[in-house]
Amino acid sequence: MSDFKKNDPTLANLSKSDQQRVLQMLNRGASRRDVMGWFMAAGATAAASSPIFSSLAHAAANTPKKGGRLIMAADQHGPNDTLDPALYTSAADYFRGRMFYGSLTRLTPQLGYEPELAEEVMSNDDATEWTFKIRKGVEFHDGKSLTADDVIYTMNRHLGKDSISKASSLVSMIKEWKKVNDHEVVAILSSPNADLPIALGTFHFKILQEGTENFESAIGTGPYKVKEFKPGVRAVGERFENYWGEGGYLDELEHYGIGDSTARLNAFLAGDIDAMVNLPPKAIAQVEKTEGKEIWSLKAGAYVNITPRLDMEQSDNAHLYKAMQALQDRQRLVKGVMKGQGSLGNDQPINAAYFDHCADIPQRELDPDMAKFHFEKSGIGNTAIPIVCAEVAPGAVEQCLFMQREGKKIGINFDVKKVTTDGYWGSVWLKEPICVAAWNMRPTANIMMTLAFKGDADWNETRWKNDKFDQLLVDVRGETDADKRAQKYCDLQTMIHEDNGMSIPMHRNYVDAAASHVQGRTEVPLNNFGGAESPVTLWRADT
Amino acid sequence: MTGLILRRLGIGLITVLAVSVIIFFGTQILPGDAAEIRMGQQATTENIAALRERLGLDKSYVEQYLHWLGNFVRGDLGISLSSDVPITNLIGDRYKNTLFVSMLTALIGVPISLALGIMAAMFPGSLYDRILTFISVTLVAAPEFFTATLLVLLFVFALGIGNAVVVGSTDGKGFFELIAHFALPIATLSFVIASQLIRMSRAAVLNVMSSPYIEMAILKGVPRKRIIFRHALLNAIGPIVNVVALNLAYLVTGVIVVEVYFGYSGLATLIVQGVQTRDFVLIQGLGMIFCLTYVILMLIADIAAYASNPRLRHPK
Repeated sequence: MSDFKKNDPTLANLSKSDQQRVLQMLNRGASRRDVMGWFMAAGATAAASSPIFSSLAHAAANTPKKGGRLIMAADQHGPNDTLDPALYTSAADYFRGRMFYGSLTRLTPQLGYEPELAEEVMSNDDATEWTFKIRKGVEFHDGKSLTADDVIYTMNRHLGKDSISKASSLVSMIKEWKKVNDHEVVAILSSPNADLPIALGTFHFKILQEGTENFESAIGTGPYKVKEFKPGVRAVGERFENYWGEGGYLDELEHYGIGDSTARLNAFLAGDIDAMVNLPPKAIAQVEKTEGKEIWSLKAGAYVNITPRLDMEQSDNAHLYKAMQALQDRQRLVKGVMKGQGSLGNDQPINAAYFDHCADIPQRELDPDMAKFHFEKSGIGNTAIPIVCAEVAPGAVEQCLFMQREGKKIGINFDVKKVTTDGYWGSVWLKEPICVAAWNMRPTANIMMTLAFKGDADWNETRWKNDKFDQLLVDVRGETDADKRAQKYCDLQTMIHEDNGMSIPMHRNYVDAAASHVQGRTEVPLNNFGGAESPVTLWRADT
Repeated sequence: MTGLILRRLGIGLITVLAVSVIIFFGTQILPGDAAEIRMGQQATTENIAALRERLGLDKSYVEQYLHWLGNFVRGDLGISLSSDVPITNLIGDRYKNTLFVSMLTALIGVPISLALGIMAAMFPGSLYDRILTFISVTLVAAPEFFTATLLVLLFVFALGIGNAVVVGSTDGKGFFELIAHFALPIATLSFVIASQLIRMSRAAVLNVMSSPYIEMAILKGVPRKRIIFRHALLNAIGPIVNVVALNLAYLVTGVIVVEVYFGYSGLATLIVQGVQTRDFVLIQGLGMIFCLTYVILMLIADIAAYASNPRLRHPK
């Protein structure tokens, strides 16, 4: 049933032995014709074989070399860095997690999934029971073999009301985890969820050893084992020789944060570090023209937004939010603030980076006439409209300032108050009538909308309540027909676009930079450094 | 003398206690608590309540204070609220970095700047004095990040020497390798404290030089060198030692800009991160360490002043 999710006609969908065999053929100099012939003989169609061939050829041209050392620099890090996957908060945590641990599934660039520690993933017909066959012969860093007990121990840490997991909401529909035998577990769900294996491929669901309570070090199944870990100072991994899969090519992988973006850029340009996250937009041109340095950008669904509370005075005026949406200078934000490293927002959270994006909704543009029409109907007149904003992400403040300026031209009096980011999420966000926010991309459209748009969600920013939307959002989780599913997702996105009231003017890319010798970059658009999935595949070309 | 020192110690102890009260209750004023900040944007009410109970944030403030002070005296700074690691672990490496950088800066910066300052006082109004004054006033006015940027531009990008940030581990490095490791931060900080010390030592010596007994010595025909080193300098030691002590305390506690700019972790960055994550235990522990640093350095400065100046030892 989950076939349509595996929307990668790539290397990953071949079995391990087939992958190896074809790679060997290519390395011995086999031509496209030879390989296609082998596929056809094996029963594949020509259409399916071609993309498989190109991804294989790509893989062969970039056969990883073993050895060397890389230093990858994050931005924020500090004393709250942790090795407990349930408590991960930052891109630095996510990346470090991938160095040391493994997870049941692994996400693909199209946000499908492929098996990792679970070698097979199956569900029943209505997606309420998921079976995971645990891979045999996987070893932890201390030599113990991975079994079902480890998986169940890990997963139970995310369940229940008193769970301290930051990702408990992603698996709240799981009733219990059951052990079938030493290498098979079943998740019993209280409501259908066709996207569960994708959620389990995300940052927080890294598999621990049964009974782990001390997180001063990490005993995982990842390609690197902990050589040094000091919160806010650095993490160094050395190759784990008994890693079960392909990957872990470097002798050592070092990871730490340099908080200041100028210092980070200096260090990168001087060659002190091999790659850095969050290249400041103004430095893009400089890096592009520097020899041996490259941009590592991922088109993503992360966004900045302005949210009116629909249950508070003034901001509950539907004509006001329609005017605000029409005043967003989207083009200018993407070009001016992000230097092109972003895409136009359409006042709904699901953009083309998501599998379930709906391309049929017309793009909203800057339209002063429309704004004027709605503003006059709103009856607000000269009264100041307070908007609280903070630099929570690039463009978060500019979206307010651009809107203020456009508003001024037609007589709207936006009172933009800029506050500090420190404590913003606790004391301003979700409390002021109109304020800004910034969101990271989530692995699926359903997770994103459930977190931030469902009527009973804690972070339903506008307090929008639409029973039809809520019902459809739950229904679609069990929808296994691809066309019906697409239609339902289109309906959901249209409802937000029309009625939610939120302005989402811009989606931003993850823009990192890496030296040319940093190879094996991944492209999962969920976070920096290729969705924090790259530690497994990184290798160094100049060793 | 002993009585004086003991009394000074007593005052120091009271200061530390008073500061501990201010630090402890001051941190409670910050908006949001560690549980909320740690769970971040994604927290649910149940998550927060569970974490709050685990961290002991549900007990009364007085109870929390007494418990904390008792542990501090025993050298136990507690467990970090934001990462479950003992505070002493967090501080360990950073303390080494900070201590090394500040000690070395002091070792290089203090003697050079005192010598330069006293020389300027020997020839006030000379060309040398004017050039030195111009340079040191310019450096006092230049913020640290500006000096740091100039040094990085010059050494790393123009000359190709050294690293733009401090990279790698200090483990297993010898003394000279460590100097190379921290060369640019030490250089930056030396410029910062040198400019101030030059101005202060020059002023202190000149101040003494205008007192009547020096005029007497001049009239007697004592050579200028002898006046300065035998008579003036001893009397200027008090104020100079105080300025040196304040600068050393600044090197331990206040060099956040330099730490951030060169990307190495020290105590100053740690306390800012502590505030951002509302890690009260960490803020309190560091606050106390900073307070102790100040109190001890000022104590040493005062004792040095007593020792060099008999008038302080025998007040009228």
